[in-house]
Amino acid sequence: MTKTDRPVPTRRQFLSTSAGATAGIASWLALSKPPAFAQKRELTFLSWNHFVPASDDELRKQAEAFGKANNCTVRVDTMAHLQMPAKIAAEAQSQSGHDMYRTASADPFLYENLLVSMDDVVEKVGKQGGGWYPFAAESCQTKSGWKAIPWFWVSFPGTYNMAHYKKAGLEHPPKTWDELLKQGKILKKQGTPVGIAISHCSDAHSTYWSVAWSYGAKVLEADGKTPGIVSDKTAQVIEWYKELYKDAMEPEVLSWDDAGNNRFLLSGKGAWIHNPVSPYNAALANKQPIADDINHHNSPGGPAGIHSACPNLSMGIWKFSKNQELAKEFIAYLFQKQNFDAWIVASNAFNHPPLKNLADHPIWARNPKFAMLPKEADYAHPRGWPGKPNEAVQRIDDNYIMADMVAKAVNGMPTKRAMDWAQDQVTLAVKGQLKVG
Amino acid sequence: MAVGPRVLEAAGLPQPGRRSRLREWWEQEHIFGYGLIVPAVVLLVSLVAFPFGMAIYFSLSDYWVGSPGAFVGLTNYRDILGNETFRQTLQNSFVFTGIALSLKIVLGVWLAMLLARNLKFKRIIRGVVLLPFVIPTALSTLAWLWMFDSLYSVVNWTAIHLHLINPPGPNWLGQSAYAMAAVIAVNVWRGLPFFAITVLAGLMAVPKEFHEAAEVDGASSWGRFWHVTLPLIKPVLGVVILFSTIFTFGDFNIVQVLTRGGPINTTHLFATLAYQVGLQGGNLGQGAAISLFIFPLLAMVVFFQLRYVRKE
Repeated sequence: MTKTDRPVPTRRQFLSTSAGATAGIASWLALSKPPAFAQKRELTFLSWNHFVPASDDELRKQAEAFGKANNCTVRVDTMAHLQMPAKIAAEAQSQSGHDMYRTASADPFLYENLLVSMDDVVEKVGKQGGGWYPFAAESCQTKSGWKAIPWFWVSFPGTYNMAHYKKAGLEHPPKTWDELLKQGKILKKQGTPVGIAISHCSDAHSTYWSVAWSYGAKVLEADGKTPGIVSDKTAQVIEWYKELYKDAMEPEVLSWDDAGNNRFLLSGKGAWIHNPVSPYNAALANKQPIADDINHHNSPGGPAGIHSACPNLSMGIWKFSKNQELAKEFIAYLFQKQNFDAWIVASNAFNHPPLKNLADHPIWARNPKFAMLPKEADYAHPRGWPGKPNEAVQRIDDNYIMADMVAKAVNGMPTKRAMDWAQDQVTLAVKGQLKVG
Repeated sequence: MAVGPRVLEAAGLPQPGRRSRLREWWEQEHIFGYGLIVPAVVLLVSLVAFPFGMAIYFSLSDYWVGSPGAFVGLTNYRDILGNETFRQTLQNSFVFTGIALSLKIVLGVWLAMLLARNLKFKRIIRGVVLLPFVIPTALSTLAWLWMFDSLYSVVNWTAIHLHLINPPGPNWLGQSAYAMAAVIAVNVWRGLPFFAITVLAGLMAVPKEFHEAAEVDGASSWGRFWHVTLPLIKPVLGVVILFSTIFTFGDFNIVQVLTRGGPINTTHLFATLAYQVGLQGGNLGQGAAISLFIFPLLAMVVFFQLRYVRKE
């Protein structure tokens, strides 16, 4: 131990000092007010760990710039996306936490009563930006108005390894899901299978909704509350999954998390996955040679056309927040053209704007591997389509009902039984009784 | 005994100040005793009893995140029993706990016997054995996640290179039986040190004379273990099994990190399903019902086991 000349406090001195400090902190806590010298507004924002980390860096940079200009601080906290629902539920329950958070899918419907109206900021930002894409808008419009503001959407194209395709003698990536099956059989024989997650992860939902719509199958009817799973079309989808699983994929798809398919492609093993551009961006960032072989194409279609359940991300402000107006100002700031453009660039084309006027960013046209991505907006629907999104849709996804239906079928459960099981679960999800998959 | 003010007055002595009167009051045995246990009681009530009471209240109501609901009696319990996934979870929990606990008992006693020997570097070895128990579960399970990864599994790689299995090897987290084996293996790995070290403490308390006497009587090593060691460590073993049963039934981290209840809910345990339903899905009422479902059974296990241990 180092000796110092500082006088050692007596026990009495120590006790009286610490008692004073405790009393000070206690009065601060009791008044819920920081002491005068620390009074500076702090806006807190809970977001996800972006799949392209540079995007979060840019967000924090903009938050800092906004803070400086408005004499406040903006704290952006990020966490793993799969842990967010639990964290948000805890904040909703305790009525405390961040001022605003990144809502996903049909979150605004689940917490409709706890989020503030965004009508004013939506109108202001929307008018400047040339209007919202309908699929993005619908994810935020509840019966009681806009409870979130669309932030960005993520295109969900086919992502493939051109070298594997060339080696297998395949000239182009699949235009339809049936074609993917045919190609997948050839590719698997070559030792480079294709992969679609059939597991408890978000990608499994995105793909299921997209495939189902392409075959004309539904999860919910247009009224948004009548389960519509049991049908010949869903049976066709399940049979397609079964064949794809058996002849074109490896069983590992049953264990994937959202990064599973990225690893599968980046390892050089996989020839095709259904996923945003994150594997390509990761390969570029890590200077992996495989980046040259990776390319993208629009999500495949089916007898009922091309449809895409691309993820929609938005922002909501809690009613318990004491900084609601500041949060709205911050949101408007993020949507200023130069800021949103910088954010798109940081994400290397991952973040797509929900506003039409911001969508013409040159980043997509400049790189031929990205050129088709904005087109995905033409095929996009919010989950729940043809009905409007609602809280039952969120519960269906949160409890992995569709992924489990497919997983049961590929593991041997007869198609009809798997559909009946899912129909029961969706019925319960609509009633709000039980939301387990 | 404290001296009253009148006695002091009569004796012509000055009366004590307020501070010393307070001290006298505080030093009375019944005040001082209760004063000492107040912090513990406050902690227990606020961190255990209150949440427990809230959980019971949630489970009997239609409570959603952020919106309290009406009292619904046992409806939540009836609803979850009617659901296939919950019944699957019930079965998973018993399979998981049954197998993991049996393995921990056998391997734990075995490890404790090994550690009880006079080994070189005895202290270091005992410290190292405790590591799995000391490292935060979420962190160590992340390492296991990589070991069971479908592409980069070091378990498969090793087994393939030792020619024990054919490539590509089992898909640990994607196939039901393997996934259950994987979560059990990690639970055993983590829980074993607790068993071993506690049983070791019991072994240390067994007098050497008993073994020597048995040896003189011609008992084999198995006989000595079965007839001498085991009966003497039974009370310790009973308490360890009791704790481990509760911990294993309530496991959350391992399953959440490795499989999130998949594939097809075949590794869901009460805690992971309750998390999915109550926090991810927002139905706190049913989430609480799921997590409390096993409580009466565990309470009975605790009651009978403690009674048994006391008798022993």
